[in-house]
Amino acid sequence: MSDFNPIKPPQWPLKCLRFFLKREYLEEIEGDMEEIFHEQVERSSPQRARRMYTWEMIKLLRPILIRNLKEIPTLNQPAMLKNYVKTSVRSLMKNPVSSFINIFGLSVAIGVCLVVYSFIDFDARIDQFHENKNHVFLTTIHANRDGALQQYGTTPRPLGEMLRDDFASISKVCRIADESVVLKNGDNVFPERVRFVDAAFLEMFTFPLQWGSSRSLADLNSIILSEPMAKKYFGDENPVGRDMLMVFEDGRTKAFSVAGVAAPFPKARAIEFTFLVNFKNIETAKPVYDVHDWSEFLTATLIQVNNPADVSFIQQRMERYKTLQNEVQHDRPISSFEFVSLADLHQRSGNIRSCISYDENREGRIGMPIIALFMLILACFNYINIAIVSAAKRLKEIAVRKVIGAHRIRVIIQFLTENMVVTFFALVVGVAMGAFIFLPWFVQFSGWELEVMLWDGKFWVFLVLLMFITGVASGIYPAFYISHFDAVRIFKGTLQFGKKNPLTKIFLGIQLVLACMTITAAVVFTQNNHYQNNKSWGYNQHSVLYVKVPDGPAYEKMNAIINQNPDVVQLAGSKDHLGKSQTPAVVHVAAGRQYEVAEFSVDADYFETMGLQLKTGRVFKKHSRSDKKCVVVNELLVKNFNLENPIGSQLEIDSIKYEVIGVLSDFHANSFFIEMQPAIFTLALEADFRFLSMRVNDGKNREVLADVQKQWTKLFPEIPFQGGHQEDVWGGFFFSVDRSEAFNKVIAGIAVMLACLGLYGLVTLNVSGRLREFSIRKTLGAGVTNITSLIGRQYLPLTVVAMIFGAPISYLFAKAYLNMLFAYPMPMDYSGIVLSLVILILILLAVISTQIRKVLKANPIDGLKSE
Amino acid sequence: MKKTKLGEFEELVLLTVAALQEEAYGVEIKRELESRLKEKLSVGSIQSALKRMEEKGFLTSEFGEATQRRGGKRKRIYATTSYAHKVLAEMKEIRAGLWESIPQLAHQLKTI
Repeated sequence: MSDFNPIKPPQWPLKCLRFFLKREYLEEIEGDMEEIFHEQVERSSPQRARRMYTWEMIKLLRPILIRNLKEIPTLNQPAMLKNYVKTSVRSLMKNPVSSFINIFGLSVAIGVCLVVYSFIDFDARIDQFHENKNHVFLTTIHANRDGALQQYGTTPRPLGEMLRDDFASISKVCRIADESVVLKNGDNVFPERVRFVDAAFLEMFTFPLQWGSSRSLADLNSIILSEPMAKKYFGDENPVGRDMLMVFEDGRTKAFSVAGVAAPFPKARAIEFTFLVNFKNIETAKPVYDVHDWSEFLTATLIQVNNPADVSFIQQRMERYKTLQNEVQHDRPISSFEFVSLADLHQRSGNIRSCISYDENREGRIGMPIIALFMLILACFNYINIAIVSAAKRLKEIAVRKVIGAHRIRVIIQFLTENMVVTFFALVVGVAMGAFIFLPWFVQFSGWELEVMLWDGKFWVFLVLLMFITGVASGIYPAFYISHFDAVRIFKGTLQFGKKNPLTKIFLGIQLVLACMTITAAVVFTQNNHYQNNKSWGYNQHSVLYVKVPDGPAYEKMNAIINQNPDVVQLAGSKDHLGKSQTPAVVHVAAGRQYEVAEFSVDADYFETMGLQLKTGRVFKKHSRSDKKCVVVNELLVKNFNLENPIGSQLEIDSIKYEVIGVLSDFHANSFFIEMQPAIFTLALEADFRFLSMRVNDGKNREVLADVQKQWTKLFPEIPFQGGHQEDVWGGFFFSVDRSEAFNKVIAGIAVMLACLGLYGLVTLNVSGRLREFSIRKTLGAGVTNITSLIGRQYLPLTVVAMIFGAPISYLFAKAYLNMLFAYPMPMDYSGIVLSLVILILILLAVISTQIRKVLKANPIDGLKSE
Repeated sequence: MKKTKLGEFEELVLLTVAALQEEAYGVEIKRELESRLKEKLSVGSIQSALKRMEEKGFLTSEFGEATQRRGGKRKRIYATTSYAHKVLAEMKEIRAGLWESIPQLAHQLKTI
């Protein structure tokens, strides 16, 4: 014995071996295996022997050697599982109402989860289709503005070329400048934004062309169109080789030949283009274009490196550009450069101002999973409540199972299986609902082109995970609760069941709180929508029209014609226009502090035409030269700058001192999503006028606009008309306010429905469980009040407690939600909460009264006969 | 022949059992065959062949001694049945007959 080596065969293969081998062969084969193992140990190493042992073990898995699965008690589940599935289907059929509530509730929640998954997946895929996404970087700058460090996506003009020359590790550079032009093809004349880009653009971004060649971007006379633009100008035919005329701001033109059309862009994208022309054309577009001007900024400068690790090296050597830049722009110094990879750009673009990419989904990324979780919790609570109460009817079954010899774990497994069956049905219905009802609705209303990725493996993993998590989360508590009863006590009938279970009440309470929160959100959003629609813009936007003009002379011509219209009360010209255009300016205040403000260059009539309210001082005088060095400011500027006597104080802009002559009441130049900015008004030169605004008689908006449009087409047949109602300048704002109202109403509707279904199921089961009791009471003379109070007593305290908790939580929730979305949310009062509580109570009453009615109408004889 | 269903590998194992006599247990059979065939065999292949032939009635078996090397587990000693001997002899005869006919066949092929 002592000469024998103590090395043992590996344990887990041995265990496997013992598990699956036929009992009668086990001793022999185990002995053989061990003998061979020791032989191997002597011949080579223990490690090798162990490996060999494991391998031999796997090769022993042969039908003739492994034992019959039916003999193994622990694996004897298939037959039992079959039985469980059968009983669960039977009990589902037996209680159609509660099964419907369970399956429908869960499937609605799963449908919502599907939409949320599609959204999250869509968001994660944005701009990820670019092959070079990890090698392409956007140059960004960090600059100190109003005391906070802000990142910008724009870059000084000369930087791109210098980077290309100075760093060997940068393989490609692409500068991007967006310009507004007018494009013409025959009768198709539209104002457009054109991207002036370096030829590397189509190599760095993966935008394949469906017609033409991407190399043509190097050619100065070529233009590349996106697919929708090709349709807009040329219809369905292949436009390659056709000519387009580009009209620049000052009226000069250049002909381009269409050299390519991009294939339709992937849906999940943030960066795209409508038209591409070579960057050098910018010198044609802008007659005095200095490539080396550090004070001018480009829309974007992108670099491509062969090794992404080189970027930190480049970033460390950006100091000299910073110095160059800050020498020129000493009033707006930048503090550092940073390169952001294309792969991360979308997610980060919410924090980068003036960025070519954008991120509108930030709130959605937080909010949507919360909503999905809400729904799942509601549906799971429904299930838990109904499962516990309906188990009362199945106590005998459980007791019989236990007496026959089922362990508690078997009963638990039985109920979990049952739950999996329910969840599986719900999953099938939910996916169908999500894909065919919720998702199309969500796509239509959000504008995000989401789709169900059926071929995506991740999607199926998600579904299976969802099924198991939902199934276990909703089933584990009922399974444990139901299985713990003593069989003998069940048979004796001494079991007091369900009535004293506090958890059922807590779950129902939480459901009511969640329902209260969603109703409040819907009510508050409806109120807020009303508030936003009626909130003052700070000026009279209702009776103002505006027209964009190409230059001063055009303004003169239009002015002369429009003046003859009797419905036009007043006319004004301006370089900038509220809601349409403003110029950022940096104002220096005495203490060397500086602020970024919005500058509007306008004429003397602008204030009255727009209906801006003057608070103190005066506005510009007509034909006054001396007012050139004067500014009118808004209240916010006075407040932010701490000007004690605003009239007469000095502001310095671009080293020129201006005197404040008037203060205007605050106004919203941009939508209520955006915070108000300090603003200054300066006097514009007539030659710089780009906008013509007019105030018209009430109710004449439409007619005047039609007339102006007609005159415009006569005067300038070549230039598309750009103008409209001042009320419309916020574009999508009211649309998106309506959208969030509609969204919250739907979500609240679903949540309320789930909570009601849960309550309905619970009350129904409870009432049917006490049918005999009610029947006896009725025969003994109990009336409506008696029965009502008996049923109501069970739910009244719970509802009251739920509302006491729910109301303040809902209030805070709705307030936080509004503040997250709106810069100027409605000031919250208690009317929203009260209204939503009333709605909730009415719904609860409706649900309970159906059951009371059923009890009252039923013949007590039937109730007594039952069982 | 048809009823016996003796596979090629099974036949080799059966012959080995017959040759080894008292020593015919799993590891020894494997060792012997490996040295003759000059290739590695797995425990699983030998064991499944043994069990199959036992079911078909070519082999009988009984427990033998237990050794320390086997972790105290007993060997199972296999022995061929008379039926197996009969089948093996039949097979040998059939093969011998076939071998004898090969030169004639070759001759005939040449004349064609």
